[in-house]
Amino acid sequence: MSTKAKAAAPAKKTPLAAKIFLAIVAIYLLVPFATTFIYSLFVEWTDILPSGFTLRNYIELFGNMTFWASIGRTLVLCLISVAITIVLLLLAMYVVVAVNRKLGRFMQFACMIPYALQGVILSIGIISLYTGTGTLLSNRMVMLFGAYTILVLPYIYQGIRNALNAIDANMLIQAAEMLGCGRFRAYVQVVLPNIVSGILVSSLLAESIIFGDFVLANNIAGTNYQNIQVFLQANMGKSSGLSSAIVVVIFVVVAIVTGIVLKMQNGSQKTAKE
Amino acid sequence: MAKTSQKATSRPARTIPFAGYIALIPFLLVIIGYELLPLAQLVIDAFIGKESGALGLENFIKVFTTPLYQQSIVNSVWISIVSAIVGIVVAFLAARFAYESSPRVRNAFTMVLNMMSNFSGVPLAFAFMILMGNSGVLTLLGQQWGIPFLADFDLYTGQGLLILYIYFQIPLATLLLLPAFSGIRKEWREAATILQASSAVYWFRIVIPNLMPSILGTLSVLFSNALAAYATAYAVVMNNYALLPLQITSKFKGDVQIDAATGGALACVLIILMVVCTLINNYFTKRASKGREIV
Amino acid sequence: MSYIEFHDVVKRFGDNTVLDHISFGIEKGDLVTLLGPSGCGKSTLLRCLSGLEQVSEGRIMLDGADITEVPASKRNIGMVFQQYSLFPNMTVERNIAFGLKMQKVAQDVIDRKVREAIDMVELTGKEKAYPANLSGGQQQRAALARSIVTEPAVLLLDEPLSAIDAKLRKSLQARIREIQQELGLTTIFVTHDQDEAMVMSDVIQLFHAGRIEQAGSPVEVYTKPVSEFAASFIGSYNQLSRDEFQTMTGADVPAGHVVAVRPETIGITPDAPTPADAAGCHVVHGTVVGSTPRGNVLRYTVRVGAVTLRVDALFRSFHMFDPGQDVYLSIPKHDCLNIPEGALRSAA
Repeated sequence: MSTKAKAAAPAKKTPLAAKIFLAIVAIYLLVPFATTFIYSLFVEWTDILPSGFTLRNYIELFGNMTFWASIGRTLVLCLISVAITIVLLLLAMYVVVAVNRKLGRFMQFACMIPYALQGVILSIGIISLYTGTGTLLSNRMVMLFGAYTILVLPYIYQGIRNALNAIDANMLIQAAEMLGCGRFRAYVQVVLPNIVSGILVSSLLAESIIFGDFVLANNIAGTNYQNIQVFLQANMGKSSGLSSAIVVVIFVVVAIVTGIVLKMQNGSQKTAKE
Repeated sequence: MAKTSQKATSRPARTIPFAGYIALIPFLLVIIGYELLPLAQLVIDAFIGKESGALGLENFIKVFTTPLYQQSIVNSVWISIVSAIVGIVVAFLAARFAYESSPRVRNAFTMVLNMMSNFSGVPLAFAFMILMGNSGVLTLLGQQWGIPFLADFDLYTGQGLLILYIYFQIPLATLLLLPAFSGIRKEWREAATILQASSAVYWFRIVIPNLMPSILGTLSVLFSNALAAYATAYAVVMNNYALLPLQITSKFKGDVQIDAATGGALACVLIILMVVCTLINNYFTKRASKGREIV
Repeated sequence: MSYIEFHDVVKRFGDNTVLDHISFGIEKGDLVTLLGPSGCGKSTLLRCLSGLEQVSEGRIMLDGADITEVPASKRNIGMVFQQYSLFPNMTVERNIAFGLKMQKVAQDVIDRKVREAIDMVELTGKEKAYPANLSGGQQQRAALARSIVTEPAVLLLDEPLSAIDAKLRKSLQARIREIQQELGLTTIFVTHDQDEAMVMSDVIQLFHAGRIEQAGSPVEVYTKPVSEFAASFIGSYNQLSRDEFQTMTGADVPAGHVVAVRPETIGITPDAPTPADAAGCHVVHGTVVGSTPRGNVLRYTVRVGAVTLRVDALFRSFHMFDPGQDVYLSIPKHDCLNIPEGALRSAA
């Protein structure tokens, strides 16, 4: 009893230091965005306090068709690329789970390479390979979809693999097989329904990564097919008011997606504990 | 003919041996087409001499003798190392304090980290321009209050980029280190207290050695992350700074003619730097974690 | 001809031979246990019969037909796994109906059969529950119902009770045996627990290093181990080397053999037994080292010369010996089994 009290005593003192330190870090992290947010709501900020509250920047942004077009393009890129990656990986993981488990290591390796490559290498490699080949493959959109599919591979792969491990997919397929069900059918009917939420979480994460991508979009498509980040970059030199509003919109969208992901992850952890 | 068909019916069909692998084909095609071949293309570009067109190290020799490219490599390595080290130190303290706080504080802090870890690239660059650019809020305040560091701060240089890089390293590093702290057992502290170890001894002889594999792993991620970062730097300085990713990209894109040879060689240098970093990290992680489980 | 026949079955994983020319038959309606330590190949043989593993060599016959190359989903064999094999996204009811749906059985028949199966495994009231909300025992009962509802030709049980606590395990053993006998279902049960094998089986196939060491009824296997390995795995035989036994009793033992004596066959008395009591016994003199209660039996450790023997005696107050006390042991000669050293065929 007394040792417990003793051990707790020094621990009681630290939270204040902890609180101060964490608060400083949090403030440091929040200041750049907070400044941008305030900046977007005022006419000018040349003194200590900004002056002239206005929603003009947002009204102008939401009335701008180029903005909506870039949002639309970004969404198309997000949804289609992530969908392609999910389908590719689900098919490939079927082979790992039900046909040959030894391929798991190869899959892991292949899916982790993009994590190391990151945007720059990936984008210039693809440009260098396909530009000027004069085929469908040299189409900038096709290149961009290919690049995004690879970019999100590690995230979706990890999500699917963890979900498959959590339910012991191999065991479920064997059980279904003993009940007269073919392997692929068992994968579709028994395994997939059980990993949907795992896939959902990782694909949302992947969406937010593509949403925040500038490198691939700028290098491969550039001004031909502006996504939201390229749109922001193009406007930065022209109007800082408008740009600050774009930054706020991007941040809010990504924050909402992140919030959903975190909530779903916590939720699944809680049910897993029970 | 009749004989074979009879045999086929009498023996129920076994599954075709390679039918199961068909599902792997789409994945393989995409991996080959958009991961392996582009990588191979860069390597080929790098080894075919720009002037001579012959196979050899010509491009690499050029890269290592041209001052601009030398400077790019030095700058990239320098900014990556400094930002990774500052990031890990702040992250270590932050993770430590978060670990000691109540769940409520910890959750709120983790929330901030998660949200702000997404704040990078072009939006981050813009926010810093608002804050510390030529007519940024802090710059103006610095001028009014006479704080030379803020008033004369130039975002569009190496020191400006460093500030930005450190900013995006901190949330990432803290998020990567936090789980390691939950591997620290309460019993260690109790055992250390009973053995009359001071707080400093406890931290430096017990906690840090146990966290070393995680710290090194995080450091390696931070280093690669900074090394390959492009959007943030491009948004601030465009191509007007000697930094590897900027120089690589400018060889494949932009107003000047495409120079795949030099670009490929620079890309190879970047890849080699990342691989070397990973190998060094693996070596030290193995040494640091010898004979025990990694927390 | 037996209902199930293994002909020279060999299974290799790389260079490792897990099953080494296994041949035996199983009669219809029997419950056969594959018993052995972990890694002996018993689960692999079961998986070869199920079709989840392919044999490297040999043939497997079921009811006169060669099923060696038939895919698992077409063999009409039911299987219960160690654990966690219920489909987590389906209720108990839908899990049990799954196999029938695969056979495209009419819905009203499915409903009736599922109902019966649920009653049989005593899960009434849990039809709508999801696996995550069931205890381990309930999950395994649901898995059992799921595998018998399709009326398979054979039921395979792969250590189904190993993850269930001891008390519940006993009642499930009994329930599985009852259901198996009620349905006359040919069943193969894999376990490493010799007590479980004794309680449940018609026939035990004792495995060792990819081969069958001994086969027979539980009583045969228990009372007549054929090798040192069998004796050490079944029961808690006292095993004495040839020298030890000859020194202790003066009796002669054939070369290459050890002597195995079950603890409960040895009599323990404070005084030398009368010649009448000692008839047909080796009588030796020793010192009690210790004792441990084991249910209704007290197990003594007795030192006789250089040898330590385990002796079981019923728990009776007039029969208690303290450590250090001198006792006489009467070992019936016909309970001293001369068995070959080591395992039967795996010596090579």
